[in-house]
Amino acid sequence: MAQKPKTATPAPASKPKASSKPAPAKGTPALEWASAAVGLVLAATAIGFTAWDALFGAEGPPAIEVKLIEVTPTAHGYVAQVEAFNHGGEPAAQVQIEGVLSIKGAQQTSGFTIDYVAEGSKASGGLVFERDPRAGELMLRATGFADAS
Amino acid sequence: MDANAVYARALSRAFGGALLFSFPLLMTMEMWSLGMAVERWRLLIFLLLTVPMLIGLSYYAGFEPTFRLKDEVLDALAAFGVGFLLAAVLLAVFGVLRGDEICTQAGLGKIALCAAPAAVGALLAGKQLGERGPGAREKERAGPLSELFLMAVGAAFLAFNVAPTEEMVLIAYQMGPWATLALVAISILLLHVFVYQLGFPGETRRRQAGDFRRTFVAFTCPGYGVALLMSLYLLWTFGRTDGVAAHEVATMTVVLGFPAAIGAATARLVV
Repeated sequence: MAQKPKTATPAPASKPKASSKPAPAKGTPALEWASAAVGLVLAATAIGFTAWDALFGAEGPPAIEVKLIEVTPTAHGYVAQVEAFNHGGEPAAQVQIEGVLSIKGAQQTSGFTIDYVAEGSKASGGLVFERDPRAGELMLRATGFADAS
Repeated sequence: MDANAVYARALSRAFGGALLFSFPLLMTMEMWSLGMAVERWRLLIFLLLTVPMLIGLSYYAGFEPTFRLKDEVLDALAAFGVGFLLAAVLLAVFGVLRGDEICTQAGLGKIALCAAPAAVGALLAGKQLGERGPGAREKERAGPLSELFLMAVGAAFLAFNVAPTEEMVLIAYQMGPWATLALVAISILLLHVFVYQLGFPGETRRRQAGDFRRTFVAFTCPGYGVALLMSLYLLWTFGRTDGVAAHEVATMTVVLGFPAAIGAATARLVV
């Protein structure tokens, strides 16, 4: 075959015919396949997971369980680290966590607010008391929330 | 030289583009909370729409100068992968994703929501950061439908940058009916002027379809319609329309329609 003259003219825009491109290196590079495969896996995961959740995910309002993780005495009171877990089917926003500590008839109430607890997820925070929660009875619960979104 | 090396460069560019286009969203608080709060069905629809949108966009601005459907699909998938990985890594670095959260629906929602704009950025990077100028191949395709598609993508893309924020709702509440109408007029005017009068670099030579009136009816009006449609869709996806009175929804749509109209108008610049 006769070789094409080696001119650097970048003006192939004469006709929009199908074969206007010289088509360099016909095959698709392996890396392209690989990255497309990664993309496919990720897209399938995201879509599949979301679809599965939409179809079979838990239903119902947020159901928030609050449990005590650890009590740490500090110079500024006893810090009770607590964890809130949402067993329900909807995310909850502005979740108010309250802890009531009763020691020999005396009560102290502490609380804090968590921005979001998604369904099937947990969030944590701390309650601060003047006296040691381990010495008395600590009642933990979520007192309210707003619907997310 | 080597096809793989060339592609690796394109892929790096795609990461750069994804970063450039998506970091404002990755660093926006509402995106994180919406990622877990968005209703699953709406997130699913959003993700399912993202893929064909990416394929269509790849047709215009893929990070390879391709023509064939197989390559468009490959490019779109790779772009989604790039967007997803970038969003996951950055969200993890920002401390948005805690270690145990990545495999929950909340974590996945956050990543998936941010992955879409990042993927668009990845696709556009081929053109934005590449050496290629606006190729001749685009002009061949500038039919009315493809024009509308590009406008829709531009509108969705720009609107997406602000749609998740609380401010859209707040602005809508602050505006009265007259201000809303004024905003409609401004949006349409800007759309028309941006597209057909200013002659930005990168725009294709605009087919001024005859006189002003015909251009207005044939291009500007559909463009604004597409912008409003995209706004409404995004607001619905983010759950902003639930239980809200119809006139407030209309106001919100107009408010978000403002950036959407600018996006539609400058689609040629960006996309």
